[in-house]
Amino acid sequence: MAANNGEETVSARRPDGRGWPYRAVVAVGVVGLLVTVGLIVVSTILYHNNENRLLKLRTRDIGSVLTAAVPSVLTSVGSTATFAEATNGNAGKFDKFAGQYVGQGSGRPFASMSLWRVDNPAGGPTTVVGAQPKLAATMDKAPALFARAAATHKLTVLGLLDGPAPRIGYAFVEPGTNGPYAVYAESALPAKRYSAPQTDSSFTDINYALYLGKDPTAKTLLITSAPRVPLPGHRAVVTIPFGDTFLTVRATRRSSLAGSLPRDLPWLIGIVGVLLTIGAAALTIRLIQRRRRTEQLADRLEQVADENRRLYAEQRSIAQTLQHALLPAELPQLHGLQTSARYEAGVEGVDIGGDWYDAIAVDDKRLLLVVGDVSGRGLRAATTMAALRYGIHAYAAQGDKPATILTKLNALVSVKSSGQLATVLCVMVDPDARELTLTSAGHLPPLLISDGRGEFVKTDVGLPIGVDRHASYTSTTVTVAPGATLLAFTDGLVERRGESIDVGLGRLREHATSNHATLDELLTRVVSNLREDGSDDDTAIAGIRWLS
Amino acid sequence: MAELNANGATLTFELASSGDGSALVKVAGELDITTIEDLEEAVQPVIARDPKRLVIDVSSLRFADSSAIALWVKWSTAVPELEIRDPQPLLRRVIDSMGLAQTLRVTP
Repeated sequence: MAANNGEETVSARRPDGRGWPYRAVVAVGVVGLLVTVGLIVVSTILYHNNENRLLKLRTRDIGSVLTAAVPSVLTSVGSTATFAEATNGNAGKFDKFAGQYVGQGSGRPFASMSLWRVDNPAGGPTTVVGAQPKLAATMDKAPALFARAAATHKLTVLGLLDGPAPRIGYAFVEPGTNGPYAVYAESALPAKRYSAPQTDSSFTDINYALYLGKDPTAKTLLITSAPRVPLPGHRAVVTIPFGDTFLTVRATRRSSLAGSLPRDLPWLIGIVGVLLTIGAAALTIRLIQRRRRTEQLADRLEQVADENRRLYAEQRSIAQTLQHALLPAELPQLHGLQTSARYEAGVEGVDIGGDWYDAIAVDDKRLLLVVGDVSGRGLRAATTMAALRYGIHAYAAQGDKPATILTKLNALVSVKSSGQLATVLCVMVDPDARELTLTSAGHLPPLLISDGRGEFVKTDVGLPIGVDRHASYTSTTVTVAPGATLLAFTDGLVERRGESIDVGLGRLREHATSNHATLDELLTRVVSNLREDGSDDDTAIAGIRWLS
Repeated sequence: MAELNANGATLTFELASSGDGSALVKVAGELDITTIEDLEEAVQPVIARDPKRLVIDVSSLRFADSSAIALWVKWSTAVPELEIRDPQPLLRRVIDSMGLAQTLRVTP
């Protein structure tokens, strides 16, 4: 029931499904059974054709054996007739001579031999050897028999003499004479004319029926190996001459003539075919079930992927919210100076980054612009970033100069204990004097744009924060032209894998020196142009512009 | 030789030490936040054996981000002598821009 429920769920979830999934199994089964039946039919036909051919050959063999046996009857009767003629019908000599053919055993084909006079058949036999001839009991047949024998000088077959001990009778008259002597012989047939098949014969695998004449009926049956006649099933027939008549042999198979393998082959094909069909159907079922499981798994994976995308988006949004919370909500505005900044999360950034910018008003006249970057990502980087940012606020409020501020920051971060570094650029801006004092702790130089030309301000670069507790920094002061713009940024803006940062810096200069109406627009354009290929790093950029 | 692959960044590294008490770490590929922990973990036992010198051969390193450079600086505080050997120009430029060429004893 549970499995059924599962399947129903699947089909319910796939209304566009491909229908009942086991049609293929039925098709495989039907095709397999049809092929099997076809092979059975073909092999059966071939088997029967072959059996019939073998039966025909066997029956012909029987005919040959009989054809070889007939002369012994003819010779025995013929030689006795010749002897009787030569001895003028001497009964004593006849008895002695015929005695060799009468009785049981090899070379004695007759149960009874007798000497008759052709001109007086009604007188009965002159002498008899062996059993009393049955002809004597039906004397009315005798005249016609001996007349026929005298006319043809062939072995004249009287026919079947039925009874509890059936016999067949023959008469013969020596050629070249008109008698008066005729030899009459009778051979015994088995009771009921049935002879059980002999196990050591070469004909054990067939049933035969031997008939006198060309017309096989119950009355003309001489001997058969089958319990009943006519023989059932496919019969082969051969007819051979016998005296003045014929012998007809009918034969059927008792068992397979070609052996048991050809006989059993259709069965074997049937069994193997059915087994193969069942196997193929089972395999098809397994394949179908495996595909369905795979589809279910794919659906499940899709759900997981959806869930992951949702979680990713959520986490990214949390990270960005936190990041923005750690950045200044608004920048101080000084007379004659525009200030603007951007923070861009990396494309793959679900972690909060360590980049930041800041602008601090110092004694109402000057502005301390800060851009920094803590190595690594995540909460640890963000925490260090927050510590550095608030540290700068505190030291600036004390009236420390940028170089002093940076030295003091080294007390807040230690690469030795935390594995973190931070690069920081401090720019003390004096709007009225149009002076910039730059101090760098391992940070990239800012871009100064005046009269449409951009230049990276050369400064001494001190050690990044966190390397040396007692690092000292030197500041560089430059005077700028009216209307000049300064852009300070973190490496995410210019750094690309497999590319020198000089190339990135050149790209920044190119985009930053084309015409832009306001500082805001400039930052927007620079950020979108430099990050259009999707940087995986975070970027902070801060800019100031003198209005005159 | 160990190979790491995360987010498409591939890092391989080999550790060796010579009889004179110096250890060599050869780093190849890309070293960033996705691969750095494994390198740090692998080199930690080397540093724990107090080598006189730790040489980081970065000649086959195509990229290293700031956290990688921070890691090297950290190593430089843990061994008597650290050498960053044979960085490619792009990496050399980054180290220079951070003012760390002396701290990391970049050669040549």
